[in-house]
Amino acid sequence: MDAHTRKVYVPMTETGFYILFCLQKPNHGYGIVQLVEKLTNGEIHLAPGTMYGSLSKMEKDGLIRFVNEVEKRKIYEITALGNEVLQLELKRIQRLYTTSREVI
Amino acid sequence: MKKEFKYFSIFNHEKEEEYLRSQHQHGWEFVKVTGIGMYHFQECEPEDVIYQLDYNQDTNNKEEYIQMFVDCGWEYIQEYAQFSYFRKPVSDMVDDERIFSDETSRLEMLERVYKGRLLPVLVIFSACLLPQFFINLSNGRYFLGMMFGGVLAIYIVLFAYCAYHYYRKKNQR
Repeated sequence: MDAHTRKVYVPMTETGFYILFCLQKPNHGYGIVQLVEKLTNGEIHLAPGTMYGSLSKMEKDGLIRFVNEVEKRKIYEITALGNEVLQLELKRIQRLYTTSREVI
Repeated sequence: MKKEFKYFSIFNHEKEEEYLRSQHQHGWEFVKVTGIGMYHFQECEPEDVIYQLDYNQDTNNKEEYIQMFVDCGWEYIQEYAQFSYFRKPVSDMVDDERIFSDETSRLEMLERVYKGRLLPVLVIFSACLLPQFFINLSNGRYFLGMMFGGVLAIYIVLFAYCAYHYYRKKNQR
């Protein structure tokens, strides 16, 4: 993992996390929006401008790759690098969660 | 039908969005913008409709781009000077919806505007004006030199103004 990836994605935005998390299975942008809504019981609503920009950036940075296009919707999936970043982020979130359970 | 001439600088797209929303609330639905800022409206039932502008230079994937907004319930109106115009009635929204749902992506759009619009101008400015300014001055053509100097000064003021806008927005929220 290069310095750029580390700087931009470790830690990452909430949007970035949900996109990478969902793309463990191939999906398109709107599919991710719907899946995130379902996973968070409607609490997180990702907007299309945010989704489009994040997908383009993550593809350019090699975290996700374009699979194919179905009815004008581009389908993406996570790459090995993307998965590496996701695992780091998951560890970070788990650490945060564990810490937050401590009594101080 | 009515037409209104309005000027919004590229960093005032939020004011433009508010202008279009307010027109719609008063029963004027935005149809298109043409030329150097002629806004066309047609009469409609007054409604609270959110208008949003996105700056997107990626013309190769325009169809996929629009499709994502349409899927999310945004109507695509037109592209004008590389800005895409979208709208969505408030009555169709779950809560306060915009086309950007986080601060990072909102700022990234401003950066795209900066890089797409200001940087090319800055390059032209450095490549043409600066040498002309010095060549004319060193050859004793003071009048020409001063003219280029004047244009340079206008550029510097404009850049300072834009930079100020950008950083104010960045620190605003």
